[in-house]
Amino acid sequence: MSRIVMRFTGVGGQGVLLAGEIFAAAKIKAGGYGVKTATYTSQVRGGPTVVDIQLDDEEIWYPYAIDGQIDFMLSVADKSYQLFKNGVREGGTIVIDPNLVYPTEEDRKKWNIVEIPIITIAKEEVGLVLTQSVIALAIANTFTNALDEKLLIDTMLSKVPPKVHEANLKAYELGKKYALEAMNK
Amino acid sequence: MSDTREVISSGNDLAAMAAVDAGCRFFGGYPITPSSEVMHTISDLLPRAGGAAIQMEDEIGGIAAAIGAAMSGVRSMTATSGPGISLKAENLGLAQMAEVPLVVVNVMRGGPSTGLPTRVAQGDVAQAKNPSHGDYKSITLCAGNLAECYTETVRAFNLADRFMQPVIVLLDETIGHMHAKAVIPTAEAVKAGIKPRRTFDGDPKDYRPYDVPQDEPAILNPMFKGYRYHFTGLHHDADGFPTEEKETCRKLIDRLFRKVDEHRDEIESNEEYMLDDADILLIGYGSASLAIKEAIGRLRAEGIKAGMFRPITLWPSPEERLYELGQKFDKVLSIELNQGQYLEEIQRAMGRKDIQKLTKTNGRPFSPQDIIDKVKEVF
Repeated sequence: MSRIVMRFTGVGGQGVLLAGEIFAAAKIKAGGYGVKTATYTSQVRGGPTVVDIQLDDEEIWYPYAIDGQIDFMLSVADKSYQLFKNGVREGGTIVIDPNLVYPTEEDRKKWNIVEIPIITIAKEEVGLVLTQSVIALAIANTFTNALDEKLLIDTMLSKVPPKVHEANLKAYELGKKYALEAMNK
Repeated sequence: MSDTREVISSGNDLAAMAAVDAGCRFFGGYPITPSSEVMHTISDLLPRAGGAAIQMEDEIGGIAAAIGAAMSGVRSMTATSGPGISLKAENLGLAQMAEVPLVVVNVMRGGPSTGLPTRVAQGDVAQAKNPSHGDYKSITLCAGNLAECYTETVRAFNLADRFMQPVIVLLDETIGHMHAKAVIPTAEAVKAGIKPRRTFDGDPKDYRPYDVPQDEPAILNPMFKGYRYHFTGLHHDADGFPTEEKETCRKLIDRLFRKVDEHRDEIESNEEYMLDDADILLIGYGSASLAIKEAIGRLRAEGIKAGMFRPITLWPSPEERLYELGQKFDKVLSIELNQGQYLEEIQRAMGRKDIQKLTKTNGRPFSPQDIIDKVKEVF
């Protein structure tokens, strides 16, 4: 496979870091290379946060995503979306939570912008807001087809406490379902 | 059985794992971004390995406790970032003067002062050479990839015990926090390579810890085992008692230099990457070298033959190798996330002033494109 470059953005405290770690770990388990980097500000909560994930069969030296080469971005906070959107290549996919992120009309022409209410799904359908990162994981993998789903789910389960396995499995299924619906629109 | 293993981890976690595998049994520290994960992880690992980790009241307490533990004979560590080194400086000087082995991990962030807490920089390179006042020789290692966060921390413990002084391990925010695969030695292989510090086994009446050859470190037996000596930051004699006797004072500082200078071959470590056929020499270290490697691949795809020299031991610097490279290459570009702290050392070692430089001090990493653009601009 050629390199897949993804970016997850939100604000500090939302837990977007975990999805990146799961992607990188799953790719490495599959015998390839995965790198996750996170950039955040000194605001513990509320500061813009960006997580870059690169997956490749070849060794990856430089750990950050290079602006203009990002295939897929997911954003759950407007200030992070505005700061980091320009890293996405033209025609790339950006999944946003429409309750929290407000793209311009120009943005909609430049990128394939997909609206999925990630936080609402986590709160109301799963009943556990923390599962948003697993919903994000499912959406990202459904769009990019980056990794074998079973491997990704197994890796995810190995990184969350057993008592929330069921909730996270539900979150994954919901994320996948919403992503497939959005793709078929 | 293989001597290596594959792990998925971050640089900070790897430094903590390495310490425990290398026999470290005490950690004293105070959390500071971007190094806190070193403390989190070692606080989890050490009690299970029969050791102890203590969060002290501040940075100064952290290193003071680590020095005390080292004096009792165990391998000991503290970890921090640049502002913490500033606070620990006085005690770093004490450990240099009294010859206490200690590993100090500094995960560099933007400075000066509190600077840019969550962002990357390499601005503590000059500080690592002389963190405290007075004359002494720093040993400073700098990890350039995830695996080296592990292997250089292990090496730091062996060097600290060999030369009886603090050894600084520089990471930076990028390397400390990046999360990926690393191939590292097994814990068994590390254990097999441990070289414990020397001890004096003769009659305690004959024990004179600082009475050693001029190119060798003191022999400090663990305290409370019957071998008594005086411990001080003042100039001291063979038994450790304060003295101002002029020849003793001269010899002490001379020895602190010569114990390192005359054994550089045991300390120096470099990486040379695609240098054999190169026309352009890029010099960088730490996380900057990741962008440099990526840039070299792309430059070569365009027919521009660049290669990299990467010092892993920053202090003492690889001055002889730098001199040779300075004779061989006309085109030299120094790349670092500060205003040119190591460039000055490169100029000194090469005896040249015409070294090009690429620097950045806004808390952002170099991108490979930054390096490609600079190479095309200046050569």
